Amino acid sequence: MAEPELLLDSNIRLWVVLPIVFITFFVGVIRHYVSILLQSDKKLTLEQVSDSQVLIRSRILRENGKYIPKQSFLMRKFYFNNQEDGFFKKTKRKVVPPSPMTDPSMLTDMMKGNVTNVLPMILIGGWINWTFSGFVTTKVPFPLTLRFKPMLQQGIELLSLDASWVSSASWYFLNVFGLRSMYSLILGQDNGADQSRIMQEQMSGAAMAMPADTNKAFKAEWEALELTDHQWALESVEEDLMSRELDFDGMFSKELPSGIF
Amino acid sequence: MASVSEMYDVGWEEMRDKLRKWREENCRNSEQIVDVGEELISEHASKLGDDIWIIYEQVMIAALDCSRDDLALTCLQELEKQFSDSHRVKRLSGMRLEALERYDEANKDYDAILQDDPTNTAARKRKISILKAQGKSAEAIRELNEYLEQFVGDQEAWHELSELYINEHDYGKAAFCLEELMMTNPHNHLYCEQYAEVKYTQGGLENLELSRKYFAQALRLNNRNMRALFGLYMSASHIAASPKVSAKVKKDNMKYAAWAATQINRAYKYTDTLKRHIVHLGGHAEAAMKQYPLPVFDSGWLVAGPRRTNAP
Repeated sequence: MAEPELLLDSNIRLWVVLPIVFITFFVGVIRHYVSILLQSDKKLTLEQVSDSQVLIRSRILRENGKYIPKQSFLMRKFYFNNQEDGFFKKTKRKVVPPSPMTDPSMLTDMMKGNVTNVLPMILIGGWINWTFSGFVTTKVPFPLTLRFKPMLQQGIELLSLDASWVSSASWYFLNVFGLRSMYSLILGQDNGADQSRIMQEQMSGAAMAMPADTNKAFKAEWEALELTDHQWALESVEEDLMSRELDFDGMFSKELPSGIF
Repeated sequence: MASVSEMYDVGWEEMRDKLRKWREENCRNSEQIVDVGEELISEHASKLGDDIWIIYEQVMIAALDCSRDDLALTCLQELEKQFSDSHRVKRLSGMRLEALERYDEANKDYDAILQDDPTNTAARKRKISILKAQGKSAEAIRELNEYLEQFVGDQEAWHELSELYINEHDYGKAAFCLEELMMTNPHNHLYCEQYAEVKYTQGGLENLELSRKYFAQALRLNNRNMRALFGLYMSASHIAASPKVSAKVKKDNMKYAAWAATQINRAYKYTDTLKRHIVHLGGHAEAAMKQYPLPVFDSGWLVAGPRRTNAP
């Protein structure tokens, strides 16, 4: 719908756009510090630590087993995979799937996550919508279809207005996501104000297996290790080495370190 | 006595950065750390800000190394004032007791830490070091084995265990530990070289062949490892001299030994050209040659190397 450009009152810029940016930013910073205060320590049990290291060792055996002699590789593979008393066959861990109902610490963690992140966003979004209503705030630089109108133009009852013109609530949400990079600049990586990252984590956390599922991990490792063969990397090392002269460059340091500095 | 900053004409920032560099590289030059660190904390404490705590820790451990108990106690007291309930500080206090040979009290400290946090690796390692310091190597080996059963990924511990086994002349088990290290660090030429030396010491034709291969691998990873070059020469000539080998194996090994010998000669000729180069540069040749009569390499390890040669 081609139409003449709307000219907005510059007061809007001064009293709406900038305040919303500042509000979003400071709320984010406050969220970061609140999340630090409310953080609970995650206590790992000895067994969990030990199991994770065993899995790492088995993975390393699969990847780098070719650097040790064949006999040693077979010895370790036997230790892990032997039918009767190999480690992966023998060890069964008690698996308690930590659903939010049974595991109280998970429940409180979820609660805290919700309180610090989702609740402020809803509250402040609503307040901004109520305060800064009745006018358009800004124009998004790309054309939008009419479907977006009721969502982005809350409180503005103009049928003919281009859907690109949005209200202050949408400007607020734009800010929430846009200020992410500002947060990492000021608060450092891994900060508690980074909401989209947290939402991503929540989604992926539900999809990925909980760490208590070590039995499955053991089974997967057992299968992978069964399939690995030993290809000794040192078969022809002497021939490789002697194919050219040794390079002694830099063997002697011409500069003697004279003291500390 | 002139202070460090006067002698080298450096400011406190350079001293702080030097300490950080030593911290990151895990250097054990305790006397230098004590010199630089002591001046830094006595003169420039206020300028350091929050860095000062980790500097206290670094200087304290270095002070224990140099028997500077006074300095160690000061650092420890500052840390205890700031972090009263910390396991890390408790471990430092245990280390100080170890340095004073009050092993029972130190053990009590570490047990307290472990009761609170059974996954704390530092306390367990200190307990093993106490056993080692008291000379109870059999017990130390046993405890270290139990520790490694829980924490299979701890490379420092594997290395320590290999050293303990070498001291007990149990070369088979030492080789096992070094294999673990080689797997986790396949590009580290020093582990290959140490493994080869252990295999060489074990003796027997199969072990000699393995040792030759691993010396070659160490050389492949780092062409300048003179120790590996000598090891290659010795293992190859040993195999060639053995009466039980076939003619082909004998010929191959003599070829390897001859090649290694040529390379060694080349390396020494390299010194000669360098010597002449240094003389051209002027005056310090004598001092340089006195300090570095043999090739300098970064191995820094001493193992029960090939001083015993078992007949194959």
